[in-house]
Amino acid sequence: MNELQFKALLPYSLLATASIIVILLIAFRRNHFMIQVVGFLLMCGVIFALVQVRPLLPVAIPPLFQIDGFALLFTGLIIGSVAIVGLFSYIYFEAREENPKEYYILLFLSTLGSAILAISNHFVSFFLGLEILSVSLYGLIAYLRNRNHAVEAGMKYLVLAALTSAFLLFGMALVYMDTGTMSFPEIAQKLSAGGGSSVLFVMGMGFIVVAVGFKLALVPFHLWAADVYQGAPVPVTAFIATVSKIGVFAILLRFSLDVNLQNFPLAIDIFAIIAIASMIIGNLLALRQANLKRLLAYSSIAHLGYLLVAFLPGNMAGVEAAVFYLLAYSITLLSAFGIITMLSTRKKDADDVEIYRGLFWKKPLMALVLTIALLSLAGIPLTAGFIAKFYVLGAGIQSQLVLPVIVLVVTSVIGLYYYLRVISVMFAAPVPAEAWEKTVSPLFYNSTYIALVILALALVALGVFPGLVVEDIRTLLTVR
Amino acid sequence: MIHYFILQAGPVSSVSDTNNSFNYFPIAIQLIFAIAFVAIMMGVTHWLGPKRATEEKLENFESGIEIRGNARQPMAVKYFLVAILFVLFDVEVIFFYPYAVNFRELGWEGFMAVLMFVGFFLAGFYYIFKKGALNWED
Amino acid sequence: MTINHYIFLSVALFCIGIVGVLTRRNAIVIFMSVELMLNAVNILLVAFSKMHYLAAKIINPATQAGIEGQLFVFFIMVVAAAEVSVGLAIIVMMYRNIHSVDVNFLNRLKH
Repeated sequence: MNELQFKALLPYSLLATASIIVILLIAFRRNHFMIQVVGFLLMCGVIFALVQVRPLLPVAIPPLFQIDGFALLFTGLIIGSVAIVGLFSYIYFEAREENPKEYYILLFLSTLGSAILAISNHFVSFFLGLEILSVSLYGLIAYLRNRNHAVEAGMKYLVLAALTSAFLLFGMALVYMDTGTMSFPEIAQKLSAGGGSSVLFVMGMGFIVVAVGFKLALVPFHLWAADVYQGAPVPVTAFIATVSKIGVFAILLRFSLDVNLQNFPLAIDIFAIIAIASMIIGNLLALRQANLKRLLAYSSIAHLGYLLVAFLPGNMAGVEAAVFYLLAYSITLLSAFGIITMLSTRKKDADDVEIYRGLFWKKPLMALVLTIALLSLAGIPLTAGFIAKFYVLGAGIQSQLVLPVIVLVVTSVIGLYYYLRVISVMFAAPVPAEAWEKTVSPLFYNSTYIALVILALALVALGVFPGLVVEDIRTLLTVR
Repeated sequence: MIHYFILQAGPVSSVSDTNNSFNYFPIAIQLIFAIAFVAIMMGVTHWLGPKRATEEKLENFESGIEIRGNARQPMAVKYFLVAILFVLFDVEVIFFYPYAVNFRELGWEGFMAVLMFVGFFLAGFYYIFKKGALNWED
Repeated sequence: MTINHYIFLSVALFCIGIVGVLTRRNAIVIFMSVELMLNAVNILLVAFSKMHYLAAKIINPATQAGIEGQLFVFFIMVVAAAEVSVGLAIIVMMYRNIHSVDVNFLNRLKH
């Protein structure tokens, strides 16, 4: 490994060191506050390193990694989301009886997995990244181990994820048989030379699609989503909804760009069907949910379906739209889950929609943030969600994807119903509620509050001036 | 064609012969002998031995110690913890094998990589140690 | 033995694993089935690795083709061990909470 490659890997090495540092901090019996602060500083360090690495790109580290503008964008998204999730975690776990410290080891490890997915270029790194991500997720989901819900959700995720990783491996082995290589560019070469028509190869790709679909909770493989979202601790739910999906989507996008998925009409048809099914079923199942976490789970299934519409064209416009969509989506979900975290009490997560009845009259600012987030999820103009959907639609129409685009528009209208229902509950007359529990740490409570308000403002800002980031995304994506 | 002793591996006559599965034929015969010997011995003792079923003879054999209680009682969770840790530390040895075989070719860079790996591992071990996961008495 | 034999063996093991995961109710047996599936993949990878090596050796005797498959097997083994240890820990917690490792009892998460 030469010096340039070493420098380009620096953000990722720092991320890997972060969990080691946290392990040592725990071994030396440091308290939760210190671990939280050190963790936050480390994440800032990673972002700083990413900025420093930017002019060196693109750097290839054969055979496993390819660090380019695309990877930088996704890694930035992942690290940014994780910094905010980490911030929520303090008030959530400090209020609970379990020891909160090991949580940060697992959090940083799974972030590492997700970031590795964003740069990997080879089946081995793909698999390792995915497993680092999901093995630490098992621990994170079942973290509140004395609560039955958490262990049940962890167990469900564990069995299904282990099953799908076996599927993934089987698929990889079959593809390896046909092409004789595991690195994406070489597979692409073999394919353009006329390979990839054998039955085993197609089966292998099918297995891989199953595994990726599971991780993204796309429709035939979405059954775990609602239960896991409901049972996991709220910050972990936010993590699953943003970081893990960003990482897996990054590798899906990279693979399909490398092998030029456009040339395989069968694959495009399958993805179109999955996207349409996700949009329809996700939105329909969300209609009748009285639990906000489950509602967000189904809505995220639908959103991943929208995202796949941007993925289908396989051109630069589509990739741009997908990146912008992920940015808007993760900011939106993080602010929604942030509000849920702040309202959760020691005994119960604030996931029942009835808890939000009359929230506006009690805590107007919080209700406003949640309203903006839900409006953005619904895709109302002047929010980032609208612009994101607009870009996706644009990319879809350019490539004449008639059916997916029509389904997108229709299901968005259906989706409006359940988001507006939650909003109307918030603005309803308040019930005489019990006193809010006192917060454990005013410092972190307030900083979480400030972060949430900033996120909500960012949503509006992106909705009004999308040009703020679109140019940057475009220039970064050209660094390949 | 069997012109060597039946339980002895035949001399390899040419390079192309090394991968010939016929070379393993003596091993197969030995396996068959071993299994047949055990099976016959067990069958014969069963057949020849007298059978007097008294109450004491029908009890489960526990190396001469009297049976007390049920074996299916929950074990202390420490056993699981140690077992899990053992699995982890045991499997990591896998990465030392390729290094041990190639360590001359890999040079200093490989050495640094292995050193880093061991370092990460020791950090984990130190954590386990400090956490008291290996303390048997509490 | 041709490559087909290996493929048949591995597919058979993989299918046994799938059937085990889908039909068994004991969490530990489910886990053993998943391990079986992973090991089926290991057989497949090693067989393909050898196949590619033999094919490439005819052209270039010093080839390194097929090395990826064998390397991958090492990583799969380690990851499987990690997965098992986290899985066992969760199963122990499940046993503590509901005094059973039967996955059919995992039905309390409902809307």
